[in-house]
Amino acid sequence: MTIETKIGIGASMPRREDARLLSGRGRFTDDLLLPRMAHAAMFGSPHAHARIVSIDTAAAAALKGVLGVFTGKDLAGVMGPMPTLATPPVVQHCVAIERARHVGEPIAVVVAESRYIAEDAVALIEVEFEELPVVVDPEAAVKSTGNAVLHPEFGSNIVHQSRHAWGPVEEAFSQAAHVVCREFRWPRVGPQPLETCAAIADYDAITGHFQVWANMSQQSVIGPKFAKILHTDMAHMTFHIRDVGGSFGGKATLYHVPLLAAVLSREIGRPVKFVEDRAEHMTAGNQHASDRLYKAELAINAENRFTGLRLRVLDDMGAYFLIATGAHGNALAQATGPYQIDALEYDLTCVVTNKTQQAPYRGFGGEVGNFVLERMVDAAAAELGVHPVELRRRNFIANDQFPYRTPVGNLYDSGDYTRVLDAAMALADEHKIWDLPKHAAPGKRIGVGLATVNERSVLSMTEFWLLDADPIFPQSSSPESVQVSIHADGTVNVSIFAPHWGNSPETMAAQITAHELMIPPEWIRVVQVGTDGGMLSKGPAGSRYTAMLAGAILGACTKLKQRILAFGAHRLGVLMDEVEYADGQVTCKVDTSRAISLPDIARASHSHRLDFPGDDQTFRSGLTESFTCDHPRATLPTQDRTDLGIFYPIVGHACHIAVIEVDEATQSSRVIRYVAVHDAGTIVNPRLVDGQIRGGIAQGIGTALYEQYLYDEEGQLVNATLADYGVPTSEEIPDMILGHVETPSPFTAYGIKGCGEGGRLAAMPALAAAFDDAYRDRNLYVDRLPMTPSALHTKLSQLKPV
Amino acid sequence: MTNEKQETTAITLTVNGETMSGVVEPRMLLSDFIRQDLQLTGTHVGCEHGVCGACTILIDGVSVRSCLTFAVQAEGCRIETVEGLLERDGKLSPLQQAFSDHHALQCGFCTPGLLMTATELLRTRPGASRDDIRDAISGNLCRCTGYQTIIDAISDMGTRLLAEEKSA
Amino acid sequence: MKPAPFSFHRPSSISQCLELLHALADGDAKVLAGGQSLIPMMNFRMAQPEALIDLSGIADLEGIRLQDDNLIIGAMSRHNAIKADELVAIHAPLISLAYDHVAHFTIRNRGTLGGNLCHSDPASEMPAVMRVLGAQMEIASADGRRLVSADQFFFGPFATAVEPEELLVAIRIPVSPRGRRYSFHEVSLRKGDFAMSAIAAAVDLDVEGRVMRARIGLCGVSDIALRAENAEEGLVGEYLNLAAATAAADAAVTSIEFNDTAAISASYRRDLTRALIIRALLGCTEERL
Repeated sequence: MTIETKIGIGASMPRREDARLLSGRGRFTDDLLLPRMAHAAMFGSPHAHARIVSIDTAAAAALKGVLGVFTGKDLAGVMGPMPTLATPPVVQHCVAIERARHVGEPIAVVVAESRYIAEDAVALIEVEFEELPVVVDPEAAVKSTGNAVLHPEFGSNIVHQSRHAWGPVEEAFSQAAHVVCREFRWPRVGPQPLETCAAIADYDAITGHFQVWANMSQQSVIGPKFAKILHTDMAHMTFHIRDVGGSFGGKATLYHVPLLAAVLSREIGRPVKFVEDRAEHMTAGNQHASDRLYKAELAINAENRFTGLRLRVLDDMGAYFLIATGAHGNALAQATGPYQIDALEYDLTCVVTNKTQQAPYRGFGGEVGNFVLERMVDAAAAELGVHPVELRRRNFIANDQFPYRTPVGNLYDSGDYTRVLDAAMALADEHKIWDLPKHAAPGKRIGVGLATVNERSVLSMTEFWLLDADPIFPQSSSPESVQVSIHADGTVNVSIFAPHWGNSPETMAAQITAHELMIPPEWIRVVQVGTDGGMLSKGPAGSRYTAMLAGAILGACTKLKQRILAFGAHRLGVLMDEVEYADGQVTCKVDTSRAISLPDIARASHSHRLDFPGDDQTFRSGLTESFTCDHPRATLPTQDRTDLGIFYPIVGHACHIAVIEVDEATQSSRVIRYVAVHDAGTIVNPRLVDGQIRGGIAQGIGTALYEQYLYDEEGQLVNATLADYGVPTSEEIPDMILGHVETPSPFTAYGIKGCGEGGRLAAMPALAAAFDDAYRDRNLYVDRLPMTPSALHTKLSQLKPV
Repeated sequence: MTNEKQETTAITLTVNGETMSGVVEPRMLLSDFIRQDLQLTGTHVGCEHGVCGACTILIDGVSVRSCLTFAVQAEGCRIETVEGLLERDGKLSPLQQAFSDHHALQCGFCTPGLLMTATELLRTRPGASRDDIRDAISGNLCRCTGYQTIIDAISDMGTRLLAEEKSA
Repeated sequence: MKPAPFSFHRPSSISQCLELLHALADGDAKVLAGGQSLIPMMNFRMAQPEALIDLSGIADLEGIRLQDDNLIIGAMSRHNAIKADELVAIHAPLISLAYDHVAHFTIRNRGTLGGNLCHSDPASEMPAVMRVLGAQMEIASADGRRLVSADQFFFGPFATAVEPEELLVAIRIPVSPRGRRYSFHEVSLRKGDFAMSAIAAAVDLDVEGRVMRARIGLCGVSDIALRAENAEEGLVGEYLNLAAATAAADAAVTSIEFNDTAAISASYRRDLTRALIIRALLGCTEERL
């Protein structure tokens, strides 16, 4: 194969991150070994809901090698509760104090010389519980009373209830020629990265300073909250950046692992490492995703155009409410999808139950909204007797309607949905996808399904509170920073402030800087700097990082180029407007033989200050510029929320065509072909974008066919191992046929749109439609996932016999 | 209570060609011994129940889950980890380079385990088909890539090895 | 997830192992075969033996050989070695067929047949295969050796006929008679997962295609590997066609109590088992020794 030799935006530049990751020199949190480091382990609640009556830690504390045992009460004096974005707050402590609200919730923590000894000590802790009624069904949670209420201050297990309508909803439904009604059940799954959450903290008692190494992100944003919980401030915190073994959103929030490492380090006076094991991560990691019931109605007029969408949603948040309604704000960014639907109603109830709580997961509610809408469109096509592709085309937002304002007030920046659909159909034709069902082997059925979805990207922060009338923390900042520094020899240092999740930030930084400064990438070194660098970074989340980093680099390099031109012009003895910068040098426009290279300019700027005008700050020493890029277009919602403002205007689009093969006798199924065309605006690195798309689709296949967290009536997570939770292996994921369309964003640097979540925003409805197609003669309609063989069997048994 | 059974044992083994020794409790997992005592942190731990494959190493040439092996069981054995794949001059081996060329890794956490599984496969069956490769790596979970580019990299490497054999 | 403490022993002979088992009889001593089933349980602390006796140093537990009319597989034979073995392919081809569904390559490098059988996991393939093959387990104790048929060997999950101070040393499989047909079919959620249901079948047909003898083993449907004896008897004398296979499958599933589990309905598992029995039996009309 040929190695990419182009540079700059659009080139499949090789990855910077690979060298250390391939050679076993990755910088994951657990790889760090500090002198005198101690290890933590936790006693997790065996009960899903129980009052903590007493905790006997004497035997545990007496075990040789144990340095300390702490209960929630012990820590309550030295640390506050976890942060939450909910209004009013749902109180959560890192270590439970009064009661356990889900299996695995930390009841006590041990610090010892080794993790082995810490676990021995955990086994010696004796806890007396008074069991309380367990609620695991969200519909039951709505009606919970008495001791079944997890947070008595709420009076019930309902932690949010709201109903909003935008546009002419009543009119759309009362005048509809046809109304499609369906109910859906969205399964509880989770990001399940290969690396669990981990943190090391080192507290210096003399200075009162914490150092934290953890596989978290947005340390600069979360840091102040973190410090406050520990009764300190940012002047006493340093967060370092580590490699992260996958996050997919889950590690973007603030969770208990680094907080516990920090408080324990302060308590025992030594560095403390806390690494979740897999069982802890699955039961108590605070990283499950949306878990919802939907009642949906789609109003359609006599011309087969969608006029209104009503959604009634019940979401099972788990035991706490850290992310509040963020995953619903997110879905609202594109609840009406790529279609011209002018009216939307969103009736939301969030309940708490005895499960670990939700965190963002690739899509963060957008994928659930996409599933529901696409399923409604397919249902409409069936009821109207219209081809599902034609029905979509008819209702697409047209090219001349961009930037398009959705009923809630969000903007879609650009798009060409027809072109994406046509490209996907052409690829499917080329690969003879449509012929496959005809050639199914005896005893097998083959179905082809299609979905067209929007892929909102570059999050702003209002989604977390715009469904609250009076939010306690109406945050609206989502900054990303970079510092570009040209050394005296012309080589370049780019400092970024975000971690690597698998999303290639160093490669992006090198590639975009090389593009801007028009220098070879080998001249550029990228470093990741933590909070001591003093710059704000929201980090990877909501498919924002590349687009925002590009904005920051563009900002910094624009400032740099102005100064480079000034130095160059001065050296060449001409005026600024007589020179231009290209290919690593400043050249006279009228006589291109007169030029000065970037290294020469750099040397001059570093060493020869007095050659340049002393009173002009343009010639200050050094060539370093930093830039903080804020969201290019976000606006606030109105107070009455009739307009939610612009909160996700950078919107890509995708069309997926999935093919599944089902064994008729056993209902065993597998995905045998997959076509995906994405429009993510300007593509920086095609090979890396393809990687993100494939990974997202693989997770989508997992959600659609294999994965689900299963709780029994007692609130026990019955499949808390990787043997029982179906992360797809190589045998479950087919090779994929990918295509691209680029409609640049008018709002971002270079027109980049985010693509990190793309694959998972589109895959599930395409796969559901494929199952429907495979059983079209039985009128199968997939309204719940995963479609495991047993689930398919159940569905088929509920259908009228042929 | 004290841990009476913690009688430690001295073990000696070869790791990436070097003789190494340690003193371990019987219950110390080989994955922890490699990462903590030998400070070779390239081998990763993802589940500690033998499913994810991130901890895969070679023992006497054969792929093994180091999280399902006690360090004492490795006495006298020949261990190979991802660090041992590098060339003598410290550069990436052709297999590691193939992974980079084909973008067969994103976060990199599963990668060392996959490299060891691939090493075993390519030593025994360089002519493995795509389907064979897909089957051979089915015990290594990857959450980032969707596997296709991993298969591309291993397949490419296999083709090159066969060509080298032919010309040798 | 780290295991609880234990003492570690590595005998170099069967008799040494038996002596150790006797010496450690008061505590909870377990033998360590491949470790691929035991060590995960220890890491979860679901098993906390006080002593582990590593069998990998006992040469007499290894090896695959023919002796008279039996294929003798040493209990410590690794799955991949058995899967690749010529003698096994010729004399017990059902084992080779089933191995495609057993775990993953790396697990099979270490896991042993003896360890797998003594673990007696209800969803594991090999116990059912052994019942269909009419294998005999050779068990050693201080009193000598005894043979237990596969049909009498499995008591329940993790419970077999091996007594506390005994050791499974070999699996003896009657050499497959010429013409016997085998089939193995399994459905699991992902490749390598535990079986949702799996069927091992061995059938002898006369020259006209009538069943002379049938064995049907089931895994994943109960708490031990089952044999569908009523279905086996009902097939004798019948032509092995769809009707006969269906009748056998119906007879088999009627006699099993299927239960709902968190992810799998009883109704599905029953229908799946029925479908796989039909498939396995009809597969015997094509697959042959």
